[in-house]
Amino acid sequence: MQTYYIEPEYEGPVVAWKLPPTWGENPELSGPMAGSFHVKTDAGPQGRIGVMPFREAVSTLSITNMFGMELGYERFTEDSLKSVMTQKKVGDKEFEWVRLTEHNVTRDPKTALLAVYRQQDETWLFPFVANANLINQEMDAFLAFLDSTTLRAGKKVIRAARPVSSPPLSKPKGGPTWEAPKHWVPGKASSVRIASYLVKDGKGNELDFSITSFPGDVGGLLSNVNRWLSQVDLPKIENSTDSPLLSSFKLDDKDAHLLLAENKEKTIYGALLFGPSQSWFFKIIGETSLAKVEKENFLNLLESVCFHDH
Amino acid sequence: MSNPSKTKKRAYSVGARQKAFPWIVPFASVRLTLALLSFSMILIFVATLEQVRIGIRGAQAEYFESFYGIWYYPEQFWGGHLLSAVPLPIPGGYLLGGLLIINLIAAFITRFQWSGKKMGIQIIHLGIILLLIGQMTTQAIQVESRMLINKGESSNYIERFHGVELAITDVTDANRSKVVSIPEELLKPGSTIRVPGFPLKVKVSAFGPNCSFDFKDSASMRSAITSNVNQGIGASANLSLTPLDEDFSNDAANFGYLVYQLIEGSKELGTWLAVSHPAGNDRWKMVHTKLEGMAFQPLRHAGKLWGMELRSKREYLPYSIELLKIENEFYQGTDIPHNFESHVNLNLESGQKRKALVYMNTPLRHAGKTFFQYQMNKAADYTVFQVIRNPSWLVPYVACILLSVGLLWQFSFHLVNFLRKQSRVSA
Repeated sequence: MQTYYIEPEYEGPVVAWKLPPTWGENPELSGPMAGSFHVKTDAGPQGRIGVMPFREAVSTLSITNMFGMELGYERFTEDSLKSVMTQKKVGDKEFEWVRLTEHNVTRDPKTALLAVYRQQDETWLFPFVANANLINQEMDAFLAFLDSTTLRAGKKVIRAARPVSSPPLSKPKGGPTWEAPKHWVPGKASSVRIASYLVKDGKGNELDFSITSFPGDVGGLLSNVNRWLSQVDLPKIENSTDSPLLSSFKLDDKDAHLLLAENKEKTIYGALLFGPSQSWFFKIIGETSLAKVEKENFLNLLESVCFHDH
Repeated sequence: MSNPSKTKKRAYSVGARQKAFPWIVPFASVRLTLALLSFSMILIFVATLEQVRIGIRGAQAEYFESFYGIWYYPEQFWGGHLLSAVPLPIPGGYLLGGLLIINLIAAFITRFQWSGKKMGIQIIHLGIILLLIGQMTTQAIQVESRMLINKGESSNYIERFHGVELAITDVTDANRSKVVSIPEELLKPGSTIRVPGFPLKVKVSAFGPNCSFDFKDSASMRSAITSNVNQGIGASANLSLTPLDEDFSNDAANFGYLVYQLIEGSKELGTWLAVSHPAGNDRWKMVHTKLEGMAFQPLRHAGKLWGMELRSKREYLPYSIELLKIENEFYQGTDIPHNFESHVNLNLESGQKRKALVYMNTPLRHAGKTFFQYQMNKAADYTVFQVIRNPSWLVPYVACILLSVGLLWQFSFHLVNFLRKQSRVSA
């Protein structure tokens, strides 16, 4: 057995923390979460605390709007954001601190406490979503948790190391609506995964359809397309302008991109819409044989998407 | 009064030496030499046949790096249907080599004439003894590894061709990483290992040198060996695994596997599966995106981030080699390599750089290690060196010099005598 020291070789992001004794780790991760926790109470696990790394600088306004819409807030502006945002120093780290409380609920309202930490070009979001009393009760633990974190940007694109669970929040108000085929079975939604559908045929083939939304452009068109292509074992594309797999189209009258990538065994169809503060991704992935059958339904769903903003 | 020089001569005579060391005499037998040489021929014949079945490395381990090997008569040979079931013990390389050394030394002491006339023969036999000792030392202490370098990058570690280790690396510190490694000798199923410098205990459930694996749709469909895996890539990719014997053939690709639990105090934190890629764990991303994380399965504990992987046994060097350029040439109209060349920079511990060209049969030697050109992939822009550490590498050279001197001495002695006789006859 040997113990020795070497020059750092690991190029991924380093996210480490000390977990408060009153918290438990959620076993399943999803989306961009690097960590997900709950508060252990006599009534069972409650609240949701997360660690979300973003590769680029995402505005606090976008993040606040993402959570604010779920709690009944109108869209924040730079000015109105000042009323809910402060700066808070925890240990040697400086956080942007946003506290949002559910509107029109007087007794123990649902609250989102957002701690945003910026380091070089990276943004780290620590959302604590729970009822107000629980957040107040766990404030010391949350501060100790933030203080214990080690956060270092990686050279590689950030990706969760294991499937992650995200805060179980409802569909954001102000988001799009769509019409899904009746035989698509709705799955679980979260704050990031706006909608999920499972599509099956009688031969054991499956497709997973999802609509996800993130603040900012989450790395832009090329990196997202290449990430999707890697999910079906297809080679990356060099640029987004002359790839036969990628085309421009209108999604509810907005300029969007359509990816139709088929591999021998797996296929991915996706639509990417990059808004001014929010990105939307519509993706279906699974066995090629079933994907070809459902391609028309997927395109019809895209046609039915409406953001109700014009 | 006796002549002192004659007395001294008599003391060193063959008869006197045989009287002084009577127990050595049987070992000096020429019949023993012939028997050992005959067995050596049988050993080489059998090992050559077996090499086809179990590869060079397998044949070496079974027959040459052992005291005996068990051989089964091939079924396709005459009478094979009857004889193939009978295990035949074959004396191994260590046994024959050891006995040959004893035989030669015994002959040296009790049979050879210690005179100028026969000095050439003595030197030749000394060279042969040295060759045998050198070969046995090489087999016992030589270590073979490989070093893969991507073009434009440098590498400061080598990996063994055979043997794996569980490496757990603390990457929390931006300036240096702490590595704790557990060699495969300790990864015995059922054992619990306390690792210095690592806060958790490692309990081994299953370990093997090779396996095949498959993705399953759910945990319940996995094989028994991975059914309890609930953390890391093994769980997220629903990997099912079938243990296989280690493949010793020339193009072997052994995927070592380890199923283990991490234990904090008496609390079990989960069960992980780690599989090592024979070409290095950074190759997992080319196998399947689901397996990319096999090179770094994260573990967050007490404010630290650790990465875990089962990998080929690794040795870090105090210097590094940077690959500047690679070139390969093939015989015209064939894909048979004519020459592979790697242009490298040797970045020394002192900060100095040394340029070197490594190509077939022209290795780079540094600090007791020899870097031979081994493989190359120009399309993927990387080169692989076979790295040999053999402290006894000079012994065969010395032995060959001794053999040459002995032969020259003996030949010259006879030539001079012959010429003297000729001159006397003509006079």
